[in-house]
Amino acid sequence: MKETNKAPRIMELPRPEKVTCPYEESYQADVVVIGCGFAGLNAAVSAKEAGQNVLVIDKGKPGYSGLSPWPSSFRWFDPERGDDEEAFKEAMKRGGDYLCNLRWYECWLKESKGIYERLTDWGILAQYPKAAEAGDFYEREDFVGYREMFDKFDRHKKWIEVLKRYEIPHLEHTMVTDLIAGAAESDATEPSKICGVIGFHVPSGQVITVSAKAVVMATGGGSYKPTGYPVGGDTFDGEYMAWELGLPITGKEFEDFHTTSNQAPGNVFLDNHWQYLENIWLCGGDVDLESASGYAAAKGYAMVMKRVQNSVNGVPLANGSEIQNVATANYTRRGGSKVYDTDPEEVRSGKMSTPVAASTLAGAATGMCCHLTSGVFCGLGETDGKTEIAGLYVAGDGIHATSPSGSAYPCGVGFTSCFTSIDGDHAGRAAASYAAGQSFEALPEEEVLQKKEEILAPLNHENGFDPNWARDVLHSIMAPYWITVVKSEETLQAALVQVEYMRDHVIPKLQAATSHDLRLCLEMKHKVLSAELKLRAGLERKESRGSTYREDYPFRDDENYLCYITQRKAADGESTFNRVPVPDAWAGDREEAYQSRYVFYFPGEPEKMGFRLPERGRKGKGERK
Amino acid sequence: MSVIRADLNKCIGCQRCFKICPMDVFRFDYVRQKSVIAYPESCQSCGQCYLNCPAHSLGFTDGSYQQSVGTGR
Repeated sequence: MKETNKAPRIMELPRPEKVTCPYEESYQADVVVIGCGFAGLNAAVSAKEAGQNVLVIDKGKPGYSGLSPWPSSFRWFDPERGDDEEAFKEAMKRGGDYLCNLRWYECWLKESKGIYERLTDWGILAQYPKAAEAGDFYEREDFVGYREMFDKFDRHKKWIEVLKRYEIPHLEHTMVTDLIAGAAESDATEPSKICGVIGFHVPSGQVITVSAKAVVMATGGGSYKPTGYPVGGDTFDGEYMAWELGLPITGKEFEDFHTTSNQAPGNVFLDNHWQYLENIWLCGGDVDLESASGYAAAKGYAMVMKRVQNSVNGVPLANGSEIQNVATANYTRRGGSKVYDTDPEEVRSGKMSTPVAASTLAGAATGMCCHLTSGVFCGLGETDGKTEIAGLYVAGDGIHATSPSGSAYPCGVGFTSCFTSIDGDHAGRAAASYAAGQSFEALPEEEVLQKKEEILAPLNHENGFDPNWARDVLHSIMAPYWITVVKSEETLQAALVQVEYMRDHVIPKLQAATSHDLRLCLEMKHKVLSAELKLRAGLERKESRGSTYREDYPFRDDENYLCYITQRKAADGESTFNRVPVPDAWAGDREEAYQSRYVFYFPGEPEKMGFRLPERGRKGKGERK
Repeated sequence: MSVIRADLNKCIGCQRCFKICPMDVFRFDYVRQKSVIAYPESCQSCGQCYLNCPAHSLGFTDGSYQQSVGTGR
């Protein structure tokens, strides 16, 4: 087709064949931070403030990539405004079904206000009029006009501004594919000390190596296909790298709660536009001792049981009128302070965004795990993301299993953006402290060559498969509700057979025609491993708890499963499991009657455990508003 | 896919869409100074390119990003 086609309004120009890489082939930095969302940005700044040279590498552009461009809210704990520490802990313990890591939660209680002040200083939490009150943008659905009017407040741009302010260099559109670790001792056979990373600049395909004393992985989690939730840039890259190094992974059985709309279930923008265009809403102050248990119950019902019910029963046909106006909801739903209406100094209004399509359907981000529960397990005593590999740290959602919210997410809106910032700050400082005592080690040439060949291999496959086809096949295997929402031995085993087949027969034959395809091929490798780990974890936990519901084990089994289940790569490539019991201080009162100990019940649970449901099929202690 | 070209003539070659797309959908034609929607099948419909295009060269489809599979829809 001639490029002088007479219909230029819709014709795209041909894809340019060559892209010049703007970067060098090799770098050196004291601390490398992979991924620059809330965790990565805070890690990079804290490591820089500690005096180390920092290099940030992001698969996209900081501020626009991963999940961090999309928080609608940010919450912090403020005792000066009357927030009650015991009440918040009680809600989190009960609502998280007693898998809440209290050590990390206490970090949030102590440090979240400081992080609020840091992000405010950076301009990320700037407040400005919402679309419904700033003119007729809402009525005219003028998204672009609203963005242009408040462009100077746009939080996405702040990421690059912060990196410049702290003089932290970064590489954009560069996918890190492997960590390079050497033996700490000359006679050791297992990798135990980080010495660098390797990856490639995606548009050009140029391979890049970085020699580093310490590495912080803030790579996020992922999903197989982002149908309703904008997590598509995250594809379990860090989880794959950790697994390959033999690190323990936990929390894969706990499922994401995000829903999408009945009107346009696969369209992220149509479902979320205003809340992504408006400011990040300030939240917190919505729990007290009297309502703590009821608060946990309400969250469990809304985020777990509603998802189960809507998935199993289906929902009514959409007629276009399903609009959600969260600004008119009560403070528990909004996440706003109880004293917001009466205390003029209280700024935590809760989420007051302009109405968007009502969100009722599970499956917006299939494969994503419940916030903060999944990723590398660093032990129960840590608060710095330090892994078993010297110099390697993890931080942030989906890669560092901090589990402050246990097996569900009863903490109210806006928790993750705040908490991952704290997590990143800790990891950045720890990585800097470690790096200060180290010297650079040469990257092993043979390993670098081998990794480079592995990265580029899909470009050389003569026969094989399209990574987009593989993406859709994996999504079709994993997305049905009987795999992620209502699980059973049979359905999980059936899916595992399919995923293992993909692992063995599809992934090795993925083809890339361009370096863009190369990214997709490598991402598919990571997604398939992640699906396998998710299914194995789901099979291993033969009980229901928080955001994982086993139809064949519809009850909490404290005796066997009040624990974090970890899996790591065995010599044969399969998983070896371990169970790490929850400390007594986090476990609540184990002697408390079952019906009272847990704040919501799964279908089939009352019958199995021999109690009767109260009216409405659920119950919560205290007031539920 | 969701991103579409509203009017290529309006593209001023600022490269913003090319730089901010988290899914690597865009390329840039340095000779013609225009962006190229090179890999629309990778679009996650987040709308950042559309919202940030200063020349209003990009558009957005109303259609769903294929079936969602997990939602029963």
